[in-house]
Amino acid sequence: MSLGATAPGRRHSGRLGFLAVVLAYGLLIAVAIGSLLAADELSLGRNPLANLAKTAAEFARPSFLDVWFGEPRLEYRGDDGTLLRVEDRRVVEAGFLRQLAHATWITFVIGTLGSLLGALLALPLGVLTARNLGAPRPLALAAKALLDTCRAIHTLVFGLVLVGIVGLGPTAGILAIALHSLGTYGKLYAEAIETLDMAAVDAVRAVGAGPAQVFFNAVWPAVLPQFVSHHLYVWEYNIRDSTVLGLIGAGGLGLLITEATALFQWGRLATLLIVVVLLVSAFDALSRRIRGALL
Amino acid sequence: MSGDRLKVGAGDTAIELRDLACMAGGRTVLAVERLRIAAGERVAIVGANGAGKSTLLRLFSGFATPAAGDVQVLGRRLPLHGAELRTLRAEVGQVLQGLHLVQRLTVLDNVLIGALARRPGWRGWLRWHRGGDIAEAEAALARVGLAALADARADTLSGGERQKVAIARLLMQRPRLILADEPTAALDPRAAAEVCALLAGAARGATLVTVLHNPALLPLLADRVIAIKAGRIDFDLPVAQVEPTTLAALYRQAPETMPAAMPA
Repeated sequence: MSLGATAPGRRHSGRLGFLAVVLAYGLLIAVAIGSLLAADELSLGRNPLANLAKTAAEFARPSFLDVWFGEPRLEYRGDDGTLLRVEDRRVVEAGFLRQLAHATWITFVIGTLGSLLGALLALPLGVLTARNLGAPRPLALAAKALLDTCRAIHTLVFGLVLVGIVGLGPTAGILAIALHSLGTYGKLYAEAIETLDMAAVDAVRAVGAGPAQVFFNAVWPAVLPQFVSHHLYVWEYNIRDSTVLGLIGAGGLGLLITEATALFQWGRLATLLIVVVLLVSAFDALSRRIRGALL
Repeated sequence: MSGDRLKVGAGDTAIELRDLACMAGGRTVLAVERLRIAAGERVAIVGANGAGKSTLLRLFSGFATPAAGDVQVLGRRLPLHGAELRTLRAEVGQVLQGLHLVQRLTVLDNVLIGALARRPGWRGWLRWHRGGDIAEAEAALARVGLAALADARADTLSGGERQKVAIARLLMQRPRLILADEPTAALDPRAAAEVCALLAGAARGATLVTVLHNPALLPLLADRVIAIKAGRIDFDLPVAQVEPTTLAALYRQAPETMPAAMPA
């Protein structure tokens, strides 16, 4: 009887709670839009359509096409008609492509080395925070706080700080990537260890195996594929991340992207974005195959 | 008795308990005044869920610690730690219910785990096994009828095949005492009978202690039946004297809680 009386009430309160959350969310959105409108910052500029058409037209002709179809004798003339400079678009863009190849390699190197460094630094922290391994509580809490901090601070912020410390260049990028992805790696490691099959661990201990034998025969085979899979995933993410690190002077594709946007060279930006998409999807295809083979 | 003495270790004591008490969550889950299992004996432990059977087995392999009393297994007094505990465990083989293989290793690697205790050193780290060990593991697999599955991964096996791999691991380990905790749980009758026959074969010459629920399988694995009820020994009889009605009475009553006061 009492069950029959309380059950509908409880169901009702659950729906009311959901309605309240929806209302609160709606209110938040309204306030967010309202605050922008009040400051008159919700505008699309003076003539967005014309600008869109112009940008799209330039994007539609990526700069690398000029290597084959560019004007061999592009003349720059002053206002009075005097010839200032002549350039061969084909040679200029071929030079840009060489620069691009080097930048792509630097970006790949920053993402790769940063990932490896982060993965290695995160190993002890992941082991400390995994709840089933029973690390001393103060140590576990400290490791968890460190991981959360690293995950909360964006790679770019780390980069800006590190450029001030180690100077401009790829080193700052590598360290920035390592510090941010450290947090991600540690969390993924801890989760992999927490799903460990303890029955298998006990079975190996039960034959009288020593700690190292238990580790290599029961723990390692169980967590290794997950660690590798997580590593490939974060590595791929970091390669994407390192394409923007050039914005803060870490070198690589980001530097070229900054230049192209600053000079409104949308054709070059189109070339750069094509390279970024190719790089990331090639890596994704490769890592997917490796992960598929591992699991 | 004199005839038994001709067998290796016969007449020796495999397990001896005195005034044992085991605690879990602040209450006594097991209280055994006296229990002796001779070397070479085949003993089944029966009783309802939660009666303390598994605790008893975990005690013998050093996975549970007694709160009070004296426990001797294969001539060593428990609790043991570190290298001494590992030496004991090397001589105690276990077949547990459910998943106790390393899922991602091959069947052959799982069988070779049985030899780890007598193969210390870095080779075990890389699972780089000696040719002699591999041959022995293959022979063990052939004995349980799984030679064809040597390279299959353990997580692709059926329940019956898993238990057979565990028995092959036992053959590899060559223990003096075998503890089997419901080795036929979740197996169909045919697979259960098959696993019991293989286990009985593997245990030849060793002491075998099995937790069992199925009365039909008792004679296959045991000569002596010890019933545990609410943490105490209810009866201890030769298997021939255990009637279906005795067992039915054992399982009929819900497990009672232990009395708070323990006789000294």
